[in-house]
Amino acid sequence: MIDDIRVGALIAYCSVKRGNKKTLMFIVFVLSLIFMNLVFLPSMIGGMTGLFTGFMQDYPYGDIVIEPSGDNTYINNADNVLQKVRAVEGVRAATKRLDVGASIDHKQKVVGVTVTGLLPAEEHEVSRYPYIISEGDFLGELSRDEIIIGAMIAGTGFGSEIYDNLGEVRPGSLVDVTYSNGVKRTYKVKGIMEGTFELVDLNALVHYKEIEEVYGLEGSKATSVVVRVDKQGSEDQVQDKIREAGVNEQIFTWADKSETLIKQAMQSMGAINVMSKFVSLIVGAALVLIIIYINVLNRKKEIGILKAVGITPGSIVLSYAFLSMFYVSLGIFAGLVLYFSLMFYFQANPVVFYETMEIRPQIDPVLLIQSIVTMLTLSVIAGTLPAWSVSKESILKAIWGR
Amino acid sequence: MIIVKNLKRYYGTGETAVKALRGVSFEIKKGEFVAIMGASGSGKTTLLRILALLDDATEGEYTIRGLQVSSLPEAERSYYRLTQVGYVFQDYALINEMSAAENVYVLSMMEGKSRKESYETALEALDKVGLKGKHNRVPDELSGGEKQRVAIARAIAKKPDILFADEPCANLDTNNSKQVLDVFKELNEKYGQTIVMVTHEPWHTEYVDRVITLEDGSLVSDEKKRR
Repeated sequence: MIDDIRVGALIAYCSVKRGNKKTLMFIVFVLSLIFMNLVFLPSMIGGMTGLFTGFMQDYPYGDIVIEPSGDNTYINNADNVLQKVRAVEGVRAATKRLDVGASIDHKQKVVGVTVTGLLPAEEHEVSRYPYIISEGDFLGELSRDEIIIGAMIAGTGFGSEIYDNLGEVRPGSLVDVTYSNGVKRTYKVKGIMEGTFELVDLNALVHYKEIEEVYGLEGSKATSVVVRVDKQGSEDQVQDKIREAGVNEQIFTWADKSETLIKQAMQSMGAINVMSKFVSLIVGAALVLIIIYINVLNRKKEIGILKAVGITPGSIVLSYAFLSMFYVSLGIFAGLVLYFSLMFYFQANPVVFYETMEIRPQIDPVLLIQSIVTMLTLSVIAGTLPAWSVSKESILKAIWGR
Repeated sequence: MIIVKNLKRYYGTGETAVKALRGVSFEIKKGEFVAIMGASGSGKTTLLRILALLDDATEGEYTIRGLQVSSLPEAERSYYRLTQVGYVFQDYALINEMSAAENVYVLSMMEGKSRKESYETALEALDKVGLKGKHNRVPDELSGGEKQRVAIARAIAKKPDILFADEPCANLDTNNSKQVLDVFKELNEKYGQTIVMVTHEPWHTEYVDRVITLEDGSLVSDEKKRR
């Protein structure tokens, strides 16, 4: 076996050293594209997933969200919960919110929305709401009878044509809000927010006190307490610490919430990803097999000669496996260079989705390792099968074709 | 050394079968230089390929040093080809991507020799056939005669019991043919190498001890020559 390996390696080495360099470059180029095909789309989907989960963290759920336990509508004494949460090590900021259903009416156009009551000063540390005001200003601590409206319902942002909207509402416009309990209030639009995300741009924001008053809530009630952590990735530990601190409400990480809320979307993308990988693999396997098979067929006579002079079929098959692995390794290397070049390009020039969403592909080391291992495995099979089949032919047929 | 008894080789079956060999019998002693002659289609190349274990006989017995080689399984035939038998092809059959030395020493490596030992063996064999200093050249950089001498070096490097040559001068001019035949003669006379060569050139018989002539797959004469 060792002699087979030595001889196989020598034959492969000579073939690479003195073989046609243009053919080698062409094979490597094609293999690099096959590798790119395996890793590029999953990276884009990874970027898209990252973008969506980023939205979940930056707007509705933070890193950790605390919600009422059982059938309760509100967290009672949310200030007490906040006090406990803020004392937990690893918590950067936290705030309480009140989400309620309502309809907004402007010049006889009516749109159903979720209105979130929040504490403007605290939101600077917790969410990106204060930073996505495209027109006008964000709410202040003293904001009363003022509302921030999402760009899609205001009729000014991307997606306005898809969803019902209020028709060009601008800062300073007056809108009527009818809450789910029937209370009607008139607000002056203070700003338009544009987060390029439906969960944001189809909503409206008012001061926490507004919702408290409308619903007659007392004792610092909240529908959620949103928490941000110091260090990304520490959500699970901080979640445990919050529980240990005596918070008895339901505590979710953004991942838990993403899983339930955008699980379907992610599953769809995951399915596309799996299918794309599968198709890429089939195409890749077919191409690698064709390339190596043509290579082997061109050397059929050589294989016959090697057999005729006493070289074992094992050595011959191994030489093609080595050759194939060499081609594929170079292809992977070239593919990686191409891949990282494209990744850096798209990091600097993200793909714009729905005109406003910027998708930056994600480099996933696990995916890269998986693809490299897959390609190398494929190369061994692709190199071995045709060589094995030719090496089984009779010497006379291999050399003289009869 | 070689005993061939009633060797037959048919291609196809029934009435349409082509009878390339119709029952050939002869013996070759160690150290003999034998030419197999005959017109085109007489079965001489078929016979040589069977003797060199590149093809199977349909019927008959074939022994080398008492070993019934015709019935060996493929793995053992491969080992036999590697260690006991040297074969020189009409069209050289060198690996174009290997240098002269690599074409030769790949076989020594297959036999389990170290790279260094294999290289030295290859240089020695190339020296023997008069290619000293040309071991790093690839086949494209060699003349037809030189290529054939590399092929001979490859065949003799392993010091085989028998060297088979299938019309080794067919693609060479007279001058190169003489050089190749001189190499065979020297190997035979100086090192006692047993050589069986297929040829159709009458003047080649000046170099051999014995001429076996085939006609339509049958042995028609077996003649000793005095050199």
